[in-house]
Amino acid sequence: MLQTTRQYTRTALMAAEVVLKEMAVDSFIMFTIVIQPLIIALLGLWMLRDRPDAAIYVVVGSGMSGLWSSMVFISGNSINAERWTGTLEMLVAMPTPLYVVTAGRNLAHVMQSLLSMIAAYAVASLFMGYALDIDHPLLFIPSLFFTVVAFISFGLIMAPIFILSPAVDQFKNGLEFPIFVLCGFLFPIALLPEWTTPFSYLLTPYWAARALHESAHGGGDVGVVLASWAILLLSTVIYVAVSRRLFRVILRRVREDGTLGLA
Amino acid sequence: MQRTTTQTGLLYTIISNLRMFYEGSRLSYIALFHWLRPSTYLASKIIMPLNQILFFTFLGEFSGQNTRDFYVIGNAVQMAAISGIYGVTMSIGGDRWAGTLPYLFGAPSSRLVMFLGRAFFHILDGAVGVIFGLVLGVLVLGLDLSQADPLLLLLAIIAATISSSGLGLLLGSVSLVTVNVWFFNNTLYFLLLLFSGANIARDDMPAWMVAVGDILPLTRSIEAARRVAAGGSFDDISGLLTVEVLLGLFYASFGFTFFRWIEFQARRRGTIDRM
Repeated sequence: MLQTTRQYTRTALMAAEVVLKEMAVDSFIMFTIVIQPLIIALLGLWMLRDRPDAAIYVVVGSGMSGLWSSMVFISGNSINAERWTGTLEMLVAMPTPLYVVTAGRNLAHVMQSLLSMIAAYAVASLFMGYALDIDHPLLFIPSLFFTVVAFISFGLIMAPIFILSPAVDQFKNGLEFPIFVLCGFLFPIALLPEWTTPFSYLLTPYWAARALHESAHGGGDVGVVLASWAILLLSTVIYVAVSRRLFRVILRRVREDGTLGLA
Repeated sequence: MQRTTTQTGLLYTIISNLRMFYEGSRLSYIALFHWLRPSTYLASKIIMPLNQILFFTFLGEFSGQNTRDFYVIGNAVQMAAISGIYGVTMSIGGDRWAGTLPYLFGAPSSRLVMFLGRAFFHILDGAVGVIFGLVLGVLVLGLDLSQADPLLLLLAIIAATISSSGLGLLLGSVSLVTVNVWFFNNTLYFLLLLFSGANIARDDMPAWMVAVGDILPLTRSIEAARRVAAGGSFDDISGLLTVEVLLGLFYASFGFTFFRWIEFQARRRGTIDRM
């Protein structure tokens, strides 16, 4: 058991390392995780310039936007990326499960996406002169950890869904801004019509954003943060369980259809 | 007799070019969205733009800097860039990706007609997108267009789509020689959100940002659309729209020159079939 865990961890980390190297020279990915969130951050900082207290809100929110864009445009294609490079057949044939490799890829995507938060922090702090203090670092760091884990596991669901339903892949342009709006990345969802609130509550990124905002800038209400952590953890467990089932389904289907390497 | 023959030849050339313009633009547009499928069209041209309007309008409202109408109009007109930049670039670049570029370079037809034709349907499509955005603004966000003259508003929208399509023609030509065109397209699209005045009033911008906005498309059509919404007349917007359209034509002519240069280089080096 211990040896298997060690092997899986090593494989996931190796996959993450390879993906990080690949992504570092991919201009589309650099745009998605650095340029776009940075421009959103600059817009937010400029628009909220009369409210210096909101700067950290914008930094965290733009970072979340980068994280989500990376989920939609990059992690969703984790398995497809192996297809495009012709390595999927080998990965499926090897003893380590495919979801371990995909988890490693997602780890790289999420970790690199955090660059967007760091870039926004640097711009706001160094170039625009905002004093950016995280009010409750002891709550913020675990919030970030739970966010990363929840997003990695969410990516595990998206990758097989993009394979099972190409329509979802084609629809990805429409999956970005609705989440920015409903999850309150850069403004409180209280601004939205009341009927949208239940939809926000159903979305894991909302709880991630809420935990991060509350610990970085809000009152640091421990109850709110703990509740958000609990929901993130629960989401993670559900995503992992569902993704394992999805991986089994797609691997069986592509073997039966003989379409494993076909895009 | 000689004169009649010349006139007939000229007429034939004009009709032939018009047919080429219409068929070329129609087929490239259909081919683009046939390849992209309706779900991609729905996501890229309706869901994403409308949610982008909602996002920046609520962000603007949170900031309290300007009225809700300011953000709705700015971001609705910005929608023109989706067709203008992405659509036109993909229509031109599509010939490279689909391997049809050598046939186009080999065809005995007018390059200008062929080139401009790639933008025609995107100009119309972009205008429809902006109108969608404004309708959403009226229905969902309470945009007040009661003072606006619809014809003047339409002029501002057409000017926005022409200028952004001009930039799209330039970027489309660039896409024939680079693999990083999406990086440029995406970056330019988001820079427009920052510099065009869609979300930040130009009066509040530092001089260097105003200067950047001045050389980008949409800046003047967004301003014109806001003036029309406030009850402005043709005289209030004619200067803005003239400059906007001229800027679009400048980008388009620059793009066309680049396109011809690429063709010339491909012929000279014998690399047409490798593009």
